[in-house]
Amino acid sequence: MNALDLLLLTSLGTVLFSVVFSASLTGRMLLTMLYAVQTVILFQIDAGTEMVSSFGFEIFNHALGLSFNGLSWFFALITLGSAFFAAWYGLNQQQKLLHVGLSANVFSMLVLLSAGDFLSLFIAWELVSWSGVLLMVLGKQESLVATLKYITYAIAGGMAVFAGIILIYSWTGSLAFNAVTENPLSLSQYGTLAILLIGGFSVKMALLPFHLWQAEAYALTSGPASVFLGAISARMGLFAIVITMMHVVDLKTLDSIFLIPELFTFRDFLIWVAALSIILPTYTALRQNDARLLLAWHGIGQGGYMMLGLLMYDQMGSAGGLLHVFNYASCQAILFMSVFSILHRTGTTNLNQLGGLVARMPLSFLAMLVGIIGLAGLPPMNGFVSKWLVYRSLLSDGMAIVFLASVIGTLGTILSVYKLMHNSFLGQLRVEHEHVKEAPWSMTVPMMLLAIIIFITGVMPGISLELVANAQSAIGLTPVDYHLGGVVSANSAISGDLDMIWVVLVLFSGFGIAAILFLSAGKSRRVHQLDNYAGGHFLNANNQYQYSDNFYAGLMHIIKPWYRYSFKWFEGAVVSFVNLAAVFSRSFFNQAHMLIWMLVVVTTVMAVAII
Amino acid sequence: MKHYIILTVILPLLVAFLLPTIGRFSYFLARALPPIILIFSIVITACVYNNETAPFALHIGDFVAPQGIVFHVDSISLLMALSVQVFALFLWPRRSFKLQSEQIVSNKRYSLMLLLVASANGLAFSGDLFNLYVFYELLAVATFGLISFDTNEANQARFAAAFRYLVISATGSVMALLGIALVYFLTGTLNFAHLATQQANLFNPIGLSAFALLLVGFGVKAELFPVNSWVPEVYSAASKKLSGYLAGVISKLAVLVIIKALLFIFPHSEAAYLMLGLGLAGLLIGELSAMRSNDFTRMISWSSVAQLGLVFIAFSIPGQAGIIAGLAVLFHHMFVKTALFLIAEKWGGRISDLHGQGYLNLIMSGIFIFVALSLIGLPPLPGFWSKFLLLNGLAGQEYYFAIAIILITTVIEVNYLFRVANHLFSREDKPVLPINNHHWFDTLTASLIVVALIVAVWELPTINDQLIIMSDQLLDIESYVNRVLISTENGL
Amino acid sequence: MIPDISSILFSGAIGLLVIGVGGLLLSNNAYRVLLALVIAEAGANLMLVIAGYRWDAIAPILTGDFTPQPMVDPVPQAMVLTAIVIGVGVQALALTLIIRVKKAYGTLNMVEIKKRMEMDFDRLSQEANQPGKLEDNS
Repeated sequence: MNALDLLLLTSLGTVLFSVVFSASLTGRMLLTMLYAVQTVILFQIDAGTEMVSSFGFEIFNHALGLSFNGLSWFFALITLGSAFFAAWYGLNQQQKLLHVGLSANVFSMLVLLSAGDFLSLFIAWELVSWSGVLLMVLGKQESLVATLKYITYAIAGGMAVFAGIILIYSWTGSLAFNAVTENPLSLSQYGTLAILLIGGFSVKMALLPFHLWQAEAYALTSGPASVFLGAISARMGLFAIVITMMHVVDLKTLDSIFLIPELFTFRDFLIWVAALSIILPTYTALRQNDARLLLAWHGIGQGGYMMLGLLMYDQMGSAGGLLHVFNYASCQAILFMSVFSILHRTGTTNLNQLGGLVARMPLSFLAMLVGIIGLAGLPPMNGFVSKWLVYRSLLSDGMAIVFLASVIGTLGTILSVYKLMHNSFLGQLRVEHEHVKEAPWSMTVPMMLLAIIIFITGVMPGISLELVANAQSAIGLTPVDYHLGGVVSANSAISGDLDMIWVVLVLFSGFGIAAILFLSAGKSRRVHQLDNYAGGHFLNANNQYQYSDNFYAGLMHIIKPWYRYSFKWFEGAVVSFVNLAAVFSRSFFNQAHMLIWMLVVVTTVMAVAII
Repeated sequence: MKHYIILTVILPLLVAFLLPTIGRFSYFLARALPPIILIFSIVITACVYNNETAPFALHIGDFVAPQGIVFHVDSISLLMALSVQVFALFLWPRRSFKLQSEQIVSNKRYSLMLLLVASANGLAFSGDLFNLYVFYELLAVATFGLISFDTNEANQARFAAAFRYLVISATGSVMALLGIALVYFLTGTLNFAHLATQQANLFNPIGLSAFALLLVGFGVKAELFPVNSWVPEVYSAASKKLSGYLAGVISKLAVLVIIKALLFIFPHSEAAYLMLGLGLAGLLIGELSAMRSNDFTRMISWSSVAQLGLVFIAFSIPGQAGIIAGLAVLFHHMFVKTALFLIAEKWGGRISDLHGQGYLNLIMSGIFIFVALSLIGLPPLPGFWSKFLLLNGLAGQEYYFAIAIILITTVIEVNYLFRVANHLFSREDKPVLPINNHHWFDTLTASLIVVALIVAVWELPTINDQLIIMSDQLLDIESYVNRVLISTENGL
Repeated sequence: MIPDISSILFSGAIGLLVIGVGGLLLSNNAYRVLLALVIAEAGANLMLVIAGYRWDAIAPILTGDFTPQPMVDPVPQAMVLTAIVIGVGVQALALTLIIRVKKAYGTLNMVEIKKRMEMDFDRLSQEANQPGKLEDNS
């Protein structure tokens, strides 16, 4: 029994434990501890080498096996970490389904990460999709509607993957991971497999055009569930796409499938899909008035960076893409936690009805600030490193337009998260929120821990880069050359090393100078937050002087004509088509004389046969 | 010992005819006797299944085939007979009244059910085309009678539904009889084994027409497109347990009859293409119509049409792959559809009226979700494995279009099934009272089906081996011919 | 001049079938549908008899002084007897159903019957899931 077996067994045990014991507070605390235990076990597995589990099944002459490599280790750490923090955050939530769903998700994700062949990959994929359902149904009626949409999309993606796997089996006769690498196929076959598998997996990852389900499904459910789902759930799609690119269609093959001859390959197509996935959802996030939906839309956009990174030939690109999974998980988790603590205390997440909570909930504000800086990609937080790596590789690969697109996306990110922060924490406090207190310790402590993690991995990215390098070598790419403070460029001629320690030192010395100036300027007087003046007039706290409604009016006015809701239209068109077909098939049977069809069939057959 | 298998046909038939008379003397005996007979014949079937490893042929009356009637008993017919009887026992009509007149009705229902079981057993074992036709008609007549018996006086639609079904079924029988006439024209025999040796006479357009006529004729019960317009009407009109029995078990028997016709009369690709085309049409129309239904019973009736289309698609794959895939889908659907109709017993009306009911009966809603997931094909449930076998077989034949349609209709399926789940677990604040005091036995049966499905996951290798054995026996036509046409040392 | 007896019978059988099936498709009255069914079944039975018929043979009956002669195939004739009996049974059942339908709906028009049936189904569907109802009509 090696460490992988122990991990899987403990995870299964956690599921059973949660079914029985998650009703009591002690039970939930033990449950949180169990996730930490699983993480400890994870550390026993050496991330640099491959570890095979002793569990295996034999079905229809296939051996299904489970094994871990550096890539799985990387994703598993993020999964367990998110689960740990989500469970801690949700200590006060009594919904049993939440805790059972969380542990079920962790278990199915671990099984997915340790899949050793295509069949077990698909089985685990379906299990992951359906355990996600458990976490999505925890809100009000609206979450049920969103879940149905998710189920439809997820099964559509799953069926595409199923078709791809069946084709692999039919064309190569085996379902092992080396099936396609051992038996090369024709280019059109590679293309079909690429469309089916990458398309199917990208539904979960919410790449365009399959992204319409994710925002409501992730946002409208209960807090800890949103934290977990937002952090890691969609990235399982990325893991599966990496597996596909490792074992079925690699980057070179993708680059040789020409969609428009001589001009546009499949890889270019995917790069543009990723780039558009960065831009469009992020600007949709700008238009949201519910903080949770804003974050969820924003989260869809970040997936594009990861995909972009992976599509680059450069080792920095793939490192950036993978690192962004880690950074994004931590930042999105902390942001969701912050938003849900606002919901917990004030009862609303409507951005037009919040404001000025910074003095009332300082720790939540600090958490949101750290998360925002991280996701926007500014030093000293970890998001900067991953985004820098992705930009770097875009430029060194010569893709200037895509680089421009991703920068526009970052702009959208900064704008959207600023709206989030401004409307909730900054500005004028509302009278009804005067007595709001900080969130309870069970919620704030995990937030602070996450903030510390974000900061430390931002200052010393070598810690997370080591995990990324292990993952890269497991995939078969050259690992990025890293050190504690950052990376060393492989090609010194182009220069461009990154050393975060120096960056942060410079930054903080700047802050330090500013702090000295601030503190030496004399005392300031503290007044009550509702005590405001403008132009010599006392401002009545009941009037709203905060500019929060229609926050980016000018920008929206410019962008609005571009928003033709094309994707929603397309989705609506598909649904209408199916409905029309259904109406037609029902009316087919409403004729009074069905027997005529029996005759038609028989006579046609006889005629065809005789002729 | 193995001769006793004939009792599974004779005994229920005999008791069915005697039951009304017995009922006049002792009502208790009339109630108790049919289940006892059923249990007895289940025991016989199980014993024969365990003891006999090789298929055997029973020449009835010691008459040499092909002049005499032959009963051919192999694993799949034994398994079908077992399913017919076991499900009949679990889905037996219950007494639910106090009046004297209702007792008489109930006697008739019991005798009709026994008739159904007897004819179904006969269908499973019969080795002669005309014998098959006779049992098929017997089955149909029993069905017509049973549909019309419903203690809910408000349900006047059952007569219309039964009549419309009768018209389609009788027309189908005319077609089947015509097909039988054509077969006799070509070969002069109706014994399956003898027909298998007459392939040279049968492989011509008239043979194909004969197969098409038989397909459409027997396909009425098998819910084949285009003769399946009766399905939603009858399943809504009859009592849900009867509908479950018809959709789950009886339709599968009809499919097997058609497969026998395919294998022995016209085992060529034109017939397979015909079945593939009709199966695809049935699948599409079934799933699309199910999506539009806002009545739970209608929805699962259309779903059963679609699944049977899937079975036909599976059997149209030539070779052992097709038979195994078809058998897997068939048996899986047998369990799943019965469970769904048992749920419809409780929740069978308008779907939008079901809001919030799921919370009031967690067992039933759990069963519904489990069965729905197996129907869709969530691994590692049995539905996934049957779909896997089916799609593998289709890919082997390069029927990519069929694969695409099957996968697209699965997405449609998941949508309408979980729309129901959304209604069941809806959170809108309306006061919710429970529906329909459901009988505990039905919940027990549904739970047993779920348990059976879970056990099936565990026992997948065994089931796989069984399927291979069954398909080998079906495809081994030479031994079949030898068994049946040689002299009658093991006759009755 | 006079067409061969076999082709007369063949066309007779096919003609009966066509009349029967045509009547099934075109009739609007349930009773006429039943009659058309009877005719179609007669056609099919005739077809089956013809299948075993030998045009120059005698009836398959053994008399006292038997000299070997070609005989008509008796098997399809036996089968047809069975089929006729089955047909009669089904037709009788159909008649009882027609009577009950007439009693329930007051009409025998097929289109009207379908309409009334669908209305009944809608009504039953609405009543089925009403909460609190205790019903046990298995």
